Amino acid sequence: MEELLARAIATSAFQALKGTYKGVVKISVLLVLTYLIAQGLNSFLPAADYRSALGLPNRVAVWAVAELHLMFAAFVLGVPIFALITEIIGVATREKRYDDLAREFTKLLAMAYTLTAVLGCVLLVLFIVLYPKFTGILSKIFKPTWIAYIVLIFGEVIVAYLYWYTWSLLQGVRKKWHLLLGLLVNLWGTALLFVADAWVTFMMSPAGIDDANNLVSLWGVIHNHTWMPINIHRLLANVAFGGAIVAAYAAVRFLNAKTDEERARFDWMGYVGSFIAIAAFIPLPFAGYWLGREIYQFSEQMGVSMMGGSFAWLWILQAMLIGSLFLASNFYLWLGMGRIPGAERYTKFQIGMMIVLTIGFIVWATPRSIIATGTEMSAMGGSHHPFLGLFGVMAAKNTAVNLMILTTFFSFMLYRRGNRIPIVPWAVAGKALQALAIAAAAAVVLGYGVYSYFVPSITRIGFSVYQVSAVLTSMALFVAIDIPLLKGAREIGAIRWGHIPARAQYALFFLAVSFTWLMGLMGYIRSGIRQHWHVYGRVMDESANAYTMAHGQATIIVSCIVVVFFLLVSVVFWLAARGGEPAESPAGEASAAKAAGSAA
Amino acid sequence: MKVTIAKIFLFMLAVVSLYAYVGQLVPQFEEHPPKKKVITPQTTGDDLVAAGQEILRGKGGCLICHKDQERGNERGPDLRRAAGKAATRKPGIAAEAYLIESMVEPYAFIVEGYPKMMPPAMKPPASLSMAEVKAVVAYLQSLGGAEVTVSVQAGDVAAGKKAVGPVHRGRQLMDANGCLGCHKLAGEGGAVGPELTRVAERREPAKIAQKIADPKLWTAEGFQAGLMPPRPDLPEGDRQEIAAYLAGLSGKAYSPTGAASPWSHEGVRLGVVIAVFNTVMLLVLAWARSREKSPLSPGPSPIEGEGRNAAGDAT
Repeated sequence: MEELLARAIATSAFQALKGTYKGVVKISVLLVLTYLIAQGLNSFLPAADYRSALGLPNRVAVWAVAELHLMFAAFVLGVPIFALITEIIGVATREKRYDDLAREFTKLLAMAYTLTAVLGCVLLVLFIVLYPKFTGILSKIFKPTWIAYIVLIFGEVIVAYLYWYTWSLLQGVRKKWHLLLGLLVNLWGTALLFVADAWVTFMMSPAGIDDANNLVSLWGVIHNHTWMPINIHRLLANVAFGGAIVAAYAAVRFLNAKTDEERARFDWMGYVGSFIAIAAFIPLPFAGYWLGREIYQFSEQMGVSMMGGSFAWLWILQAMLIGSLFLASNFYLWLGMGRIPGAERYTKFQIGMMIVLTIGFIVWATPRSIIATGTEMSAMGGSHHPFLGLFGVMAAKNTAVNLMILTTFFSFMLYRRGNRIPIVPWAVAGKALQALAIAAAAAVVLGYGVYSYFVPSITRIGFSVYQVSAVLTSMALFVAIDIPLLKGAREIGAIRWGHIPARAQYALFFLAVSFTWLMGLMGYIRSGIRQHWHVYGRVMDESANAYTMAHGQATIIVSCIVVVFFLLVSVVFWLAARGGEPAESPAGEASAAKAAGSAA
Repeated sequence: MKVTIAKIFLFMLAVVSLYAYVGQLVPQFEEHPPKKKVITPQTTGDDLVAAGQEILRGKGGCLICHKDQERGNERGPDLRRAAGKAATRKPGIAAEAYLIESMVEPYAFIVEGYPKMMPPAMKPPASLSMAEVKAVVAYLQSLGGAEVTVSVQAGDVAAGKKAVGPVHRGRQLMDANGCLGCHKLAGEGGAVGPELTRVAERREPAKIAQKIADPKLWTAEGFQAGLMPPRPDLPEGDRQEIAAYLAGLSGKAYSPTGAASPWSHEGVRLGVVIAVFNTVMLLVLAWARSREKSPLSPGPSPIEGEGRNAAGDAT
């Protein structure tokens, strides 16, 4: 039996390495083809600063491919984080369903990696062919990072494929090695993200070059003002995005389920996906504040263009999207409470939370200047409404979003304790302390919100740090009390998975579509605030596309990209489903046989 | 199932359409890059004022924080009163000098009640020349109804620290490839071929880049054909860099494409990385294959632990 098992392990290891090598060959072929096509076209086409392809505007072609590449990249970086988290939960709780969930989503990675790589290669060809001069400038500055990026791509492919192919092999006592592989996939993915972010952020906030754009310090170029805030923002957004896509997948499967068992499974999967998505979504606005602050630190003018110039109107759209996300998340949680025995105790809070969320939504979506006729403006005494105009400034908006975050967190906590009653002797004091933490944070947020009206903008931006700190501290304190509070808590009844209305699944799907649209919009704003610069203040865009387009046109392009993304994701899911379940590892089978033999 | 999928797809279309529709409701306008304005010492009076207004409203980006009419931003002082108050803002400095200083070195004096936030006008992103700064001063003086006293000098016309492309490696490449063995360049080099210092006055830079690869394209008058060796092996990007350098010597602007040949260092490096990863993977595969086929030694393996666990669980 020992020999059989050892041979089975050797066979499984060989199969895993063979599968991994296929991934390496695939990426090698793609890279070689990309390089030869790009350089071949560049040599064949006449020398120029800008070119156009098939009569398409350069910018729209690059925008669409770059955004799709980014969305898939977010997916392939977000899913492994999601998979590792659920796998760790599976190990900690010893519940196999978590391991199965992680495995089900890791299965999608091979196809998604291929699509991400193909889109990345198309993007590179477009850059080299359509923007040869600008690409030449960036290539020269970032020369050492290109090879590092290629090495990281190979590393990522190897560990990701090994992570997938060794799933059966590395079970039982070998599980720790599988978790280590999962960690490596995420570390490699994060390193890839950080390198790519250096290129993107340098275009926004250049540093490390002299007046003639010659490289002075590579670290200075990489570690520019917006690099770290964007790294953190994207890392969190990737987790939220990965979770949202998982939840959307579960929602589709729930709606198509034939049996109660299937419904229960996909209901649970949707819950886990949405939980991880919302948990990562809550700190996202804070990371956004940090990024905004760094943009102001780099260039007050860029910051003002972003918040007070033409882009200001897109923040109204962003407010509508984030407000919708908060409402949909809470709506899903409240519907989900219907399947938790005992959660009806907390229904009374829902009206209050709904009011806070709705008012917050309205305040956040209030524009500073109102589109009005000349008569209306003279009646108002200007473009700002005498009363509503007060809610159109950042002082009100920061306050609104912090209160919405606090409310959603509270909603989550109520959901968490839906069917549990704390039995520790200090339960009453603990709950009172938790209520106090939430109330204190709300008071700090409101207090600074009101005070913000009486100070200049540069000081006001600093207040958002205190508001955010108060909210984060109260959330950390709440959770720190909640964990021991609910330890050994009495359960009123088991959660009835699958007993949730279909509209809750549409809420999950809405979350995924809105997240994706929001990514598209924010990507446009981040890139658009460079205005007519390739590299802000350093390399001017002298092409016919250097202008900032009308917002209506931009939102139509974002919508089209989102639809194409979901169609492509559907293809990935469909192909993965058609591929069937992966063969069980011979080592896994042999281990099972050995265990059975021992038992006999 | 098809009905459900169709419903979900329609739901997605409805959601993205809603967002796109809201995008149509906000004000719609395009923002174009500022136009290039030529200011010389001969630009005076109304032309200088008009140029200043255009720079203030466009390239200078001043209206992001200031206003020059009733409606506008108030993050910075009202520019309609700037010239009128300039003489008394800072003791010991004349009105015109103060206005120039307030743009070129905005932190030298901060008007009370306003934050320290203005970027120096001659640095990126505005990167104005002194002539453009003076044009803005002329406009500010005209706004206050004062006489326009500012004038542009020849030295003011040179651009400030403006955005420039990469410094071309053309000269280095010409030295490295032995061009100066036959050609004279700025007083240096041989006389076998024609002098190249002002060659771009006679030929288009793109044609010069082609000529390096294929010297048969033309032969300069008075020189023997067929002497120059063709250099198609020289990467396209390098030939463009040389053409850009020569164009610069004739006072012409020409941007090299930055294209690199597949056989350039980048291509070789990429090939090496691909080869290394594939070789390592093949070696590991061969090792795993040999392990799979070789007779197994009965030594301890990680399985023992699992075996114990499985047995333990079973018992």
